[in-house]
Amino acid sequence: MSLIAMRMIIPMIVAAALVCSGAKPVSATMQKTLRFGYLDHPGSALFLIAAAKEYFREEGLQVELIRYSESARGLSALETGVIDVGAFTTSDSLRAIADGKGFRIIAGGGTQLSANPLTELDDALQAETDSRGIIVLIPPSWPNAEKGTIIQLTAAIIKAYRTQQQSQTRDSKHTAAVHFDPNPDYWRLERIWRSLGLQDSTMKRDFLASHVYEEIYCDALDRMLLGPIDSILQQLFSKAVCTPNCCPASAAKL
Amino acid sequence: MKRIIAAILLLALTASSGIAADLPKLRVGYVPEPAHGLYFLAKEKGYFKEEGVDVELFQFGSAAEGVAAVKAGKLDVGTFGTTAPLLFISKGSEFTFIGGMMIGGQAIIARPERLAELSGKDLKVYKGKKIGLVKLSTGDVIFRGALKKAGIDVKKDLTFVEFGSAAAVVEAVKKGAVDAGLVWPPHFSLAEKNHGLKVAHYISEFYPDYTCCRIFAHTAKVNSEPETYRRFLTALIRAYKFYKTNPEETVQVYTKALKIDEDIVRNETYVKKVADSNPDPLRKGILDFWQHILAAGYIPQDYPIDKHINTAIYKQALDSVIKKEPKDKIYQQMLTFYKKNN
Repeated sequence: MSLIAMRMIIPMIVAAALVCSGAKPVSATMQKTLRFGYLDHPGSALFLIAAAKEYFREEGLQVELIRYSESARGLSALETGVIDVGAFTTSDSLRAIADGKGFRIIAGGGTQLSANPLTELDDALQAETDSRGIIVLIPPSWPNAEKGTIIQLTAAIIKAYRTQQQSQTRDSKHTAAVHFDPNPDYWRLERIWRSLGLQDSTMKRDFLASHVYEEIYCDALDRMLLGPIDSILQQLFSKAVCTPNCCPASAAKL
Repeated sequence: MKRIIAAILLLALTASSGIAADLPKLRVGYVPEPAHGLYFLAKEKGYFKEEGVDVELFQFGSAAEGVAAVKAGKLDVGTFGTTAPLLFISKGSEFTFIGGMMIGGQAIIARPERLAELSGKDLKVYKGKKIGLVKLSTGDVIFRGALKKAGIDVKKDLTFVEFGSAAAVVEAVKKGAVDAGLVWPPHFSLAEKNHGLKVAHYISEFYPDYTCCRIFAHTAKVNSEPETYRRFLTALIRAYKFYKTNPEETVQVYTKALKIDEDIVRNETYVKKVADSNPDPLRKGILDFWQHILAAGYIPQDYPIDKHINTAIYKQALDSVIKKEPKDKIYQQMLTFYKKNN
């Protein structure tokens, strides 16, 4: 797909999502501004929806979106601290991780569907298609104490996904070309990692897993499931492989 | 005067920590369930110290956080279900199972008016029903295994509704959003006590001696300090004997440690015996559990889990107590159980 065609798709997806649901007034405790770099790509639509619908603000976050035309430049900005969060192509991001950049993947974005009917039947073709999709990363410098902020960020992306899905059921002609999924999905990434031949013999067996922060996605989803039953969230939960919480937070709660 | 008292206290603390400082230390993570009580007994009765290991206990509310703490080297031992360490191992974490803590414990609850319809000795009563559960919980995995053994197709014959917590499952059963729900102790006792729900079945009726919480540690640490872990397991074996022979004192120790209703602890531990605390690694049970996770499609590819199970250290610990008390019936039963399950 040409760059011009790609640029045409993003506003269509975002516009469809915005038209199909009303904006909500929000009140949020603002924190410092998070600089969220994203690739100019149809798979980045969820982040634009999250900003336009004020889901970041609803989660108490002040987010500034910064557009990049190339993943390499965006990843470099993430590494040097120019941006706090990045959403770039899976293949470039995984290569950067393999090179020791230390990024952690916290969520998924969108992947353009392949026109090749064989893709779904062939793991290698599927991995190749998936490698061109978008994933969300944070740099290694994120302090553990700010885990709550990453969960809020991921929750905003999940909300954007829900809005996008609701709009897609009503107006599918523009959005069918892109598959969105906010799940970082370790096993999908592991297939891409293998297909790109990134596992070095010197790397530990859990090298990739150490860079996929699925717990954040699961925590965000868990928190959202506490609300009214929502079929879109239930579907995400069914697909996620989350470690079950076996106990209440403290014995005193029993 | 205050200075003198402080100085005496300081001296006392220094002296006691001096003893402990000579012992190898283990930081042990657990979740607040009565069936994890062997830790409290071993601590309270002084078995850890007597066996020569200085154990510090850390309570966790989330299995994911507990396993992550083991992975990060903040804990030397973890006890966080069976699923959580298996998921981490499948993704490359170098953990080794060395023992166990809880066997059984999962129950199916229902509204009282549904009890007659759902009780009975055949799992076929659940055909066509909607079952609430926490995905990947022990109950989820083992119930699927039990249904499969009973020839019931989990994809066609019944519907599973996934929830984020046991409390949400209880709420769904209470409201009638599902026909029955799968929960673990003490949630079903609390559901009975607080909401009038009833236990229709314990899953162990259909699937005896299945694994729940397993004891695991970093493989490198297990390999470099096997003697420390042997001492640790020896203390737990002695705690097991105490739990089997001193019910009333055990209930008091558990209640004090967990700060939950004494009747619930007594009922679950000794009256209804909903779960057993047992330090046996139950190697065969772990391998079965893994196969059920794979069959459910939760993990897309197989992995040789067996190489992450070390039964030798437990066996050495068991042999050491049998050597001291060869005629002890409890220890002999543990040996028979070990031979059957490993």
